[in-house]
Amino acid sequence: MTSLSAPYTVEFPFDRTVGPKVGTFLAGLREARLFGVRAPGGRVLCPAVEFDPETAEETGELVELAGEGTVVSWTWVSTREGDPLPHDFAWALVAIDGTDGSFFHAVDVGGDPGRMSTGMRVRVRWREVRVGEIGDIGCFEPVPV
Amino acid sequence: MSAEPGPPLPQPITSVKSPFRMDYTYVAGAGRSVFLRGLAERKLLARRCPGCSQVYLPPPEFCSRCLTELEAPFELDGRGTIATFCVVSFPFPGQTIEAPYVVAHIHHHGADTRLMHLIGDVAPDEVRIGMEVEPVWVGEDQLTTSMTSIRHYRPTGVAIGSESTRA
Ligand SMILES: [Zn+2]
Repeated sequence: MTSLSAPYTVEFPFDRTVGPKVGTFLAGLREARLFGVRAPGGRVLCPAVEFDPETAEETGELVELAGEGTVVSWTWVSTREGDPLPHDFAWALVAIDGTDGSFFHAVDVGGDPGRMSTGMRVRVRWREVRVGEIGDIGCFEPVPV
Repeated sequence: MSAEPGPPLPQPITSVKSPFRMDYTYVAGAGRSVFLRGLAERKLLARRCPGCSQVYLPPPEFCSRCLTELEAPFELDGRGTIATFCVVSFPFPGQTIEAPYVVAHIHHHGADTRLMHLIGDVAPDEVRIGMEVEPVWVGEDQLTTSMTSIRHYRPTGVAIGSESTRA
């Protein structure tokens, strides 16, 4: 006898409270401004965090960034429901200029993986409607040469 | 970046929407499917383990204590006692029943396991552990291979007293 099956959806409408550094970072996104945060030793982290992941010390001042960077690693994916782009794209680690470490986001090369490469220069593409969340950065896109 | 003073920092926001959603397909498996198909015919089908004699309601395919395949299903009459219960008074997102309502573990006569369902036709503050209850089935046109075939359980009016807990 065959097994019965049925759709089963688990859903939680969470609100996540954020600290002052992350809150400023997100408020910056709403204004189409990208901020990092100063960590001990002069490093700058973006996205901003409340505590330095290396030393666990509280982070310092917010630092405004230009929103450009270099792809340090990427992987090509087929687009799915809920993804930031309607066509295939790359998930990438982008080393934002003026920061240490990298920023994880989508890179739009118009669905052509042949245009992706490690070391390529990219910049933030802002969403038209911004609400103060990470999705306000729609994706990164290649910097025109 | 330049060290020149830029425009003032934005006022920090304090909270972000962070919805979580996972779409699954629930696969009942052979054993649970027998039980669910029974519900569509107003039957509560239990199964006994030939290894340790445990009677399961609802029954899986294999005994969770000794991993033996269970025997053929047989029907229970549906009556049982409330082993424990909870009055849900708190509203939450996605709630389909208006609070307050009672959810209970029901220990069916002839079964060794407990089945969770709603208790109705009685005020929440009158529900007691040990109260005997029986299923209230939905109408013919609403019967389906789901626990929703039983609208809720209601008191039979018979007082049984507190039952002992089982290991
Ligand atoms: Zn057994």
